[in-house]
Amino acid sequence: MRERPNILFINTDQHSWDALSAHGNPYLRTPNIDEIHRNGTSFRQSFCTDPVCAAARSSWATGLYTSETGVPFNGGHLHPEIPDLGQVLNASGYKAFHCSKWHVPGRDVRESFQTLYYGRRDIGAGGAAYYDSASTHAVADFLTSYNDDDPFFLQIGYVDPHDVCEYLHNHEEKRIPNPIEQGIVSEDDLPPLPENFDYDERETVLHRVCRRVDDALIHAAILKGVRDWDEFHWRYLRWNYFRFIEKVDAEIGRVLALLRTTGLAENTLIIFSADHGEACGSHQMFQKFTLYEESVRVPFIVACLGDGIAVEKDRFDETHFVSGVDLFPTVCDYAGVNVPEAVQGMSVRPLVEGKDVPWRECAYIESNYWGRAIVTEKYKYVTEYKPREIEDFSPPGPEAEQFGLAQLFDRQKDPGETENLVGNASNDEVVKMCRDKLLAQEAKLHRQEIVHPSPKRVISNWGERLRSYWEHGR
Amino acid sequence: MLTTPHPVKFPKHANNHNTMANSNAQHWSFDYNYGSQNPQFAQELISTLRGYNPEVSDRQTQIGKTIKHIYNILPNYWRGYSRGDTDEQLSLGTATIERNIANDNLWHYSVQYENTTSGENLRMQFRCSDTPFRFLTDSWCVDARNSGKDEYSRLTCAGHLTSDGEVKLRINDTEIVAGTVGSPVELTCNWALFDVIPALGQTIQASDNGIDITLLEDLEQLRPKSRLGFLESIQTPIPLDGYYLYGPGLLPSYWWLDGYGNVVIASSMFETLVLRERMG
Repeated sequence: MRERPNILFINTDQHSWDALSAHGNPYLRTPNIDEIHRNGTSFRQSFCTDPVCAAARSSWATGLYTSETGVPFNGGHLHPEIPDLGQVLNASGYKAFHCSKWHVPGRDVRESFQTLYYGRRDIGAGGAAYYDSASTHAVADFLTSYNDDDPFFLQIGYVDPHDVCEYLHNHEEKRIPNPIEQGIVSEDDLPPLPENFDYDERETVLHRVCRRVDDALIHAAILKGVRDWDEFHWRYLRWNYFRFIEKVDAEIGRVLALLRTTGLAENTLIIFSADHGEACGSHQMFQKFTLYEESVRVPFIVACLGDGIAVEKDRFDETHFVSGVDLFPTVCDYAGVNVPEAVQGMSVRPLVEGKDVPWRECAYIESNYWGRAIVTEKYKYVTEYKPREIEDFSPPGPEAEQFGLAQLFDRQKDPGETENLVGNASNDEVVKMCRDKLLAQEAKLHRQEIVHPSPKRVISNWGERLRSYWEHGR
Repeated sequence: MLTTPHPVKFPKHANNHNTMANSNAQHWSFDYNYGSQNPQFAQELISTLRGYNPEVSDRQTQIGKTIKHIYNILPNYWRGYSRGDTDEQLSLGTATIERNIANDNLWHYSVQYENTTSGENLRMQFRCSDTPFRFLTDSWCVDARNSGKDEYSRLTCAGHLTSDGEVKLRINDTEIVAGTVGSPVELTCNWALFDVIPALGQTIQASDNGIDITLLEDLEQLRPKSRLGFLESIQTPIPLDGYYLYGPGLLPSYWWLDGYGNVVIASSMFETLVLRERMG
């Protein structure tokens, strides 16, 4: 390996861990991301920090959890004093480039990275159909002309399969017949309903108010449209989701082909991940925003197409819990750059090289400002903080007295997360163990009061609704 | 030849903007008439369609004479796409398809696609056989230019088919293989579908499950096992026959033909091409 490698961070948007053929999904074909997997190590226990775009991306950019970044939901605003990955790399002799989706509100990507392409109208949340192909053109132009002596870091933020959100929005105000009625596909063409189509009716209040009730805080109009769906609509959602992934896989294929033919593959580390997943019908849910597996578990693959970088290839790491906060220190490790002290993540480089190093025992995830989850090898524990009676804007935690409802799932016996074990006295010890882990993790965080008016408005509005639900059940 | 503007005959209610704005009468595959869009999608669609003249003679097939269709690109994107000024036009840009049959007995296509959201302007040139499937021949070229303010400004991609079915693309000075087409080498481009679907319409309608084609999307992405099928006929906003296209890596798109063989509306997830002008 040259002293410092090029680093290519390819990310997709709203891409669940199991939505890859290399990860065993028979309903789509992803030959190009599979190639990354064949040339690297894929982490089975990989979770986003927060299942929504801006929040998760603020963790990629900073190595911090979302109650630390100031971006605990899409309307957040990154605290201005927190350094981002582009700034850190640029200050250390790397050339940091960005292409396509950024979506870290409060930080101008063009001030932290050299941007290859960011749309004529800046890329916001979605729009893969407009932007992804152009992004590949921009990357192709870059890879075929890069001749600098300095190594590069390039992050490519493909938007797909996020366009599945637009597929859903199209159902808001009209009824679209199911594809069998349309005669477009036959029943045999469609993937089946997910095995966990049912859901736990004892979900947290936060979850209900955000995602289940008629006037849900998040995308209630889609929820209304979806309530008219039959089985085939749900299955067609899944079918479409997989086509979006095949689309972006083809884009990635051209990038990989160019890496090979330009000779850059030998000394370029590839990291592939996604900001969050997609429910895709599991628990009768769509999009993200929840702490269920499909929404929070994402691919995380570290690879090299050549032999220039020590990477264990064609291998699953079964046990180590990897989080979105780990991207930052991993990149810094390969780049030989010091990691800012506050960063919460850990470099996965030793794991990719097959070394035995001390590692975290669980994954920690936040959601919708008040939601929290701990994932251990055997259990997932989901809970929420009740909004404080007196409004304030300091992200909650660790405050055991403020915990609301909870869910506990046995990941080994019930991987679909349909049976909530909370309430059964025989599980009280497990619940306590999970709560202790959660509180211990939260004690390590450096939260700051949110001062920007945009996220304050969201916290205020959502908090009011949640307090009403706690007080009046509606 | 530039045809004389001649209004399409719309049902009476379709000329009433207020009615259109408040109704949900358009077909689901291209009706994105949400209250959040201003100007309204259906209204814009109707007013665009008024501009073209369908009642022209059969397609010009005289050597050297050009047929040209110009489409207004309207967004299907819900309400989140960045549009800046709310008074801005709904249109995202223009797609222009020109083709003529030359002395070599091939159809020569020149397609220009300008999208003001992506900022990318594509000029695509390719040649096709004079057959209903319009199979791609020898070589083609894409000239992509970015009008945005970032580092990427231009890319040229020259492609060709090898005799053993490899699709090769040369980007700047680097050549990659985009995929391999099975034998026989029968490959068409999505932009030729504006002629393929009218030519094969009856065949498609007569088939139970549609017909399979292999596409080279935008002359760069190979989409084997794509399927063209008949959807239905509708009367609003004008009489149209609908077809669908989908396949691996290809989201469904819907193609609506008038009685004169013009693709009047081509709708996909994010954009609807609406025929604005036809020449030749």
